[in-house]
Amino acid sequence: MTTFNLPDLGEGLAEAEIVRWHVSAGDIVKVDQPMVAVETAKAVVEVPSPYSGRIKALHGKPGDVVATGAPLVDFDVQAGGAGASPPATRVATPHKPAPQKAEPQAANDSGTVVGSMPTSDEELIETAVAGSDIASPRERVRAAPAVRALAKRLGVDLATLRGTGRGGLITVDDVMNTSGPTFAYGAATVTALKAAPASARSGPSSAPPSGEPEKLRGLRRAMAQSMSLARDNVMNCTLFDDADLHDWRKGEDFTIRLLRAIGVAAAAEPVLNAWYDGENQTRRPMARVDVAMAVDTPDGLLVPVVRDVGKRSIAELRADVDRLKRGARDRTVAPEDLRDFTFMLSNFGMIAGRYATPVVVPPAVAILGAGKLSHDVVAVMGGIEAHLRMPLSLTFDHRCVTGGEAARFLAALIRDLERGS
Amino acid sequence: MAKVTMIEAINCAHAWEMAHDPTVVVLGEDIGINGGVFRATAGLQEKFGVDRVQDTPLAEGMIAGMSIGMANQGLRPIAEIQFMGFIYPAMDQIANHMARMRHRTRGRITCPIVVRMPHGGGIHAPEHHSESLEAMLAHHPGLRVVCPSSPARAYGLLLASIREPDPVIFLEPVRLYRLVRQEVADDGQALPLDMCFRLREGSDVTLVTWGAMTFEVMRAAEQLQSDGVSCEVIDLATLSPIDHDTILESVAKTGRLVIVHEAPRNCGIGAEIAATVAEHGLYDLQAPIKRVTGYDTIMPLFRLEYDYIPSVARIMDAVRETLAD
Repeated sequence: MTTFNLPDLGEGLAEAEIVRWHVSAGDIVKVDQPMVAVETAKAVVEVPSPYSGRIKALHGKPGDVVATGAPLVDFDVQAGGAGASPPATRVATPHKPAPQKAEPQAANDSGTVVGSMPTSDEELIETAVAGSDIASPRERVRAAPAVRALAKRLGVDLATLRGTGRGGLITVDDVMNTSGPTFAYGAATVTALKAAPASARSGPSSAPPSGEPEKLRGLRRAMAQSMSLARDNVMNCTLFDDADLHDWRKGEDFTIRLLRAIGVAAAAEPVLNAWYDGENQTRRPMARVDVAMAVDTPDGLLVPVVRDVGKRSIAELRADVDRLKRGARDRTVAPEDLRDFTFMLSNFGMIAGRYATPVVVPPAVAILGAGKLSHDVVAVMGGIEAHLRMPLSLTFDHRCVTGGEAARFLAALIRDLERGS
Repeated sequence: MAKVTMIEAINCAHAWEMAHDPTVVVLGEDIGINGGVFRATAGLQEKFGVDRVQDTPLAEGMIAGMSIGMANQGLRPIAEIQFMGFIYPAMDQIANHMARMRHRTRGRITCPIVVRMPHGGGIHAPEHHSESLEAMLAHHPGLRVVCPSSPARAYGLLLASIREPDPVIFLEPVRLYRLVRQEVADDGQALPLDMCFRLREGSDVTLVTWGAMTFEVMRAAEQLQSDGVSCEVIDLATLSPIDHDTILESVAKTGRLVIVHEAPRNCGIGAEIAATVAEHGLYDLQAPIKRVTGYDTIMPLFRLEYDYIPSVARIMDAVRETLAD
């Protein structure tokens, strides 16, 4: 026989009054089945059965006051076939414990005056380290969420980028400049050329012709490939005009003035500073003007890129151009300096030639050719004068640029170029 | 000390400090003769006498006010609020006097008080007995809010709290009182306040939690480990002031953050952590911060209690979502 004593139903309440019994002696009851309603100083409370079994005896009748801890019900837990229902056992991490059970008033302390206290003898084994002892340097990519989202959308792996922002932070520009088809004029061969000794390079123009067929290599082969690509894909259309440099003072820097004028023209007509994906007929106007400058070398054409010509000072541009030219000539130019231009400039006039039909290299959509300067006879108001003039040839990809856009670009370029300084 | 439950560890910390510091006194409802409704103070009155272990009337405002008076006169009171829902009558004394006495007197008078109380649900208690009000307390300058998650931390952090010269609200996760046992040395060694505890080292996602939720979080971390997800688990331990450095360093390492708390979401401490990581760790985040919390409603009665308390499944879902971003 098991005796169930009246549990403490409130917070330290000493007694309760029986209101009514729901069961009688001899009944078979299940765990949680309401047995008796008792009234405490606080409320009327239903007392559920803690066991499954047969009730042997009830202690007290309605109206009786029972002291907390005094016998309430005697059970025969063997009867009913259910056996004793153990108190709800709980594991270290309570998941969904069984509904509340009135714990049998055992000799040991239940640990609470309300509800039921989850209890176990399970031992907690843990290693708790106070504070932080992370000594390893940050290896993670640092980028704003918007940049991460952009990179994800464009399929750019941020881990491959070198951030140009504060503290190596990867910026929107870093992602934009990397996304899409990375291209470089001859860049693929730069590493090979750097490794090759000077004597192994395709000979300079001074070498006597061998009369033998020569496999194109290096820069020359790259040129052949990109020109074929351009021929097959680009609809080249060229505009010619002259810039009158009569207002220039002595010592103006032609290359820098050209770069600056391209920046101004790109601001006026941004569609010429863009990439065009002919396959998907997608045009991407670029925020930054990165001009690839053709540099003639004994090995062939090398096209290093001057970045952001629209925003940088003359001195900065000059330093960059010198660095790139030097790098192109002695083959130390870095691959990243040969990649991802948005516009091209050919200064062929330094050697000879007034006009040309330069070829657009996709995905860029325009190229400017600057011809040989000459003093031309110019008709001016009230007579004729000799002015220094620069012949200009602007080739654009007519698939995505209109003649009007190209002409407006050229007009803006000439306007800036003709300024006194 | 042998392997003890959290409630035994709390009892031991009281006894140790009372034996070693005669200014420590204990007061509260049913804490003396009865030994406290959860037995946190069992045996203390017998051992240290009625002068140092005082039963009070059912008047929380008075308990807090009396503690302030005692503290101002050189004692170190440990006051028990029987259940967290009963703290509201004491809030006037706590917020308007206890938390600002040092400030008001320009440091002349301090309040070395610990106000202990059970925290959270999970024991099938009636209304007002299962609250998680830590955000309200943490919002008050001048209060330190501490919440241990194991017997060892309950012992060490309670000792540190008693020794603090300023008031500490000490929240005891009621669900953990007797849930597990842990080997704790009863040597009077305090643990550092104002510091997180890293319970598990990981590299894919940082899980920040405190109190009883550490158990669900640790279990979620274990299950995720078998799926190949490496979780770092940080027990906040001191809820105010928050040890943001440890969290930020962990987020810099993992790039992902999930905050788990039992309290309602709205204006919870999870929001404060998320905001700080957004301010100082934004560039390290690889996915939006997630919060797994109780709902913005009254803590339900016991049959729905575990639908309210964040479950292992909810925590695992949040971690998987943050990894998918």
